[in-house]
Amino acid sequence: MHFDTLHNQFQAGKLGMWLFLGQEVLFFAALFTAYAVYRGNHTEMFHYGQFFLNWQMGAANTIVLLFSSMTAAWSVRCAQLEQRKGLLLTIAVTWLCAATFMIIKYFEYTHKIHVGSVWGASFNIHDFSELPEKLQKLLTEQGITTTEAANAKLGKDGLGLGTFFAVYFCMTGLHGIHVLVGMGLYAWLFVRALKGSFNRKYYGAVDNIALYWHIVDLIWIFLFPLLYLIG
Amino acid sequence: MSDGHAHSHDDHGHGEALPGTIGHVTPASTLIGVFLTLVVLTVITVAAAQVDVGRLNVVGALAIATVKGSIVALWFMHLRYDKRFNFFIMFGSVLFLLWMVGYILFDTKMYQHDMENYRHNKTVDGKPKPE
Repeated sequence: MHFDTLHNQFQAGKLGMWLFLGQEVLFFAALFTAYAVYRGNHTEMFHYGQFFLNWQMGAANTIVLLFSSMTAAWSVRCAQLEQRKGLLLTIAVTWLCAATFMIIKYFEYTHKIHVGSVWGASFNIHDFSELPEKLQKLLTEQGITTTEAANAKLGKDGLGLGTFFAVYFCMTGLHGIHVLVGMGLYAWLFVRALKGSFNRKYYGAVDNIALYWHIVDLIWIFLFPLLYLIG
Repeated sequence: MSDGHAHSHDDHGHGEALPGTIGHVTPASTLIGVFLTLVVLTVITVAAAQVDVGRLNVVGALAIATVKGSIVALWFMHLRYDKRFNFFIMFGSVLFLLWMVGYILFDTKMYQHDMENYRHNKTVDGKPKPE
């Protein structure tokens, strides 16, 4: 052991994790800046882009992540109280919530790719009838009824929705990668908990991974309203 | 919080902590309470977004998200009971985030008008482009 006491070791590990989390906030800061700049200058792009997002799916994912944040915090409590079954259960539930989040995300992504509402110059709607109903109605009111006309209005020579979806995929994609990393970490924690590696004086891994998981939740708390709700 | 203070948490586990436990043990009721509060705030976020109040929608959504984020940081992430230094790492990062977003927005807003003019085939002064 390289530290005087287990308490020192725990606090040093935690400090390292907080420095990493501080860096994570700065990492995402760049993407939030991109969002703010595009939104500040092209509000209409976000107004139209939002028609493509399913807020029910976003809300479901929010609840899933909030619940997993609670079970992650609970796993720390179980480790401190040396409740082995509770620790295994809370770790497993957190992992399952992360998997649920990714499954919902998968359905969202595949639908967007199917419709053609994707990033940058690749944005190209395949079929007018596949557009979200509310958007179809809005476009019809403006006399836009064909796929070509819709692309002219929404595409790169029009509102430039490709930029909206570039921001959308970068932000949710980077967040999704964090969720996948979290799944890997919780799988590793489960194996270690199964071996009985943790006790009330040695549970730094459980605590630090929970901290990481909370920051993933925290970022989603901001992404959800910014992308799905306000148009 | 000082090191000595953190040690005193060893026997501050709301009576349920085992002797010599490192860190603060959050009561189960607090964990459930925090989760339910976050769910209620999510419902409020969704409901508030249905009312169109223009620019205030962004402000409202960000305000509620900030409250939710603070609750996660203070209770789930134990910042309330943690060393104050860890709190300032996070606080500092958020401050720099706001600084960066703020200044870049300020800058882009200042020049956007010129860019729009340029895009409409004019010079940056807004005069027609000499041919």
